[in-house]
Amino acid sequence: MKRRCYFWLPVVAAAAVFVSPSRGGELTDATFRKLHKQLRPGDEPWRTIPWKISLLNAQKTAAKEKKPIFIWAMDGHPLGCT
Amino acid sequence: MLKADFVPVAIDQAYQRRQKDAEGEFYRKIAGQGPRKNFNGTTQGFYIATPGGKLLLFNNNRDVPKVRRLMKAKLAEFARGGAKADPAATIDAGKPDPRWNPEPPQGGLIVRVRAKVLDGYEPSTNRWRRIYQTALSRDNLWISKREHAALARSEIPAALQKRIARFHLVDNTRGEPPMWRDREVRSVQMSLKNGRLTGRAKLATADGRRTYDAELLGFVESKDGKVTRFDIVALGKFRGEGPFTRGAPKGEFPLAVAFSLADGKDVADRVPPQGSRGWLPGYLRQ
Repeated sequence: MKRRCYFWLPVVAAAAVFVSPSRGGELTDATFRKLHKQLRPGDEPWRTIPWKISLLNAQKTAAKEKKPIFIWAMDGHPLGCT
Repeated sequence: MLKADFVPVAIDQAYQRRQKDAEGEFYRKIAGQGPRKNFNGTTQGFYIATPGGKLLLFNNNRDVPKVRRLMKAKLAEFARGGAKADPAATIDAGKPDPRWNPEPPQGGLIVRVRAKVLDGYEPSTNRWRRIYQTALSRDNLWISKREHAALARSEIPAALQKRIARFHLVDNTRGEPPMWRDREVRSVQMSLKNGRLTGRAKLATADGRRTYDAELLGFVESKDGKVTRFDIVALGKFRGEGPFTRGAPKGEFPLAVAFSLADGKDVADRVPPQGSRGWLPGYLRQ
């Protein structure tokens, strides 16, 4: 009897793999809560910089405060993509 | 130094180098003094300029000590006479180029979107690779006023479902991702009942080299006709990469995408969705 159970184990395992959803795991309420929290941004230092997103607003402030402008120009917005 | 001595601005230069307005002219004036003066291609990098538009530095280096050293040197140069040599008046914005100055839909919603690869990378001791491997991406989803009203009635318009699938169920953790083409959305289905959103999206390129099969679960709540909560998570197996997102894990890997309502406190809330670049009407039509 025991031997018969072992005989079926690989078959059952293979079937389980075949029918299981391949989406990266079950999305339960608990998983939702965990991931939603995990995917919140932390307190990275670069986020404390008072970035402007308008170059003309930056120019206006720079002219008024007599400071140079530091432009972080990327493909994709540095604050909004990746 | 960046906070106290400079005026820092972050931009997607794909906008400014194309803008037919005062901001575009100012950007091209600065960038045109550097090595990347072909405005049909990328001009990305760090620039330091005087308020009058005189370029003091172009650099595209990510080495922190080097960039810090360059910043100090250019700050000293500016103090020695940059501002006096290049006095500047405030530039009048004039009429902004509407194509490259999109505004969030009035009466609509801004939703913050973040993605993360949960597993599958080969261990690496390379510092930069490790940053990419643990990166949390960010983007914004824009929802129109009409769609906002529909959500408050517990309806999810087909166009909104398609937009979420095409432009926000992407792996943008290592760079600019390829968005899904319309025909690559094999199926998308979301339903909202008693504030609980469930759904599934299957996305695949024709050759099957890039795929994502994701389950969605979340909570969309509203009060007095206005959405007060939009917390959703998509979880599934992703496969593949794009020209600017090289270095993905081999084979299938778990990718999670989280959505939450923006509160407007972050300046990044006003950044247009990556998928809307240059064609906001097309993005919102999806």
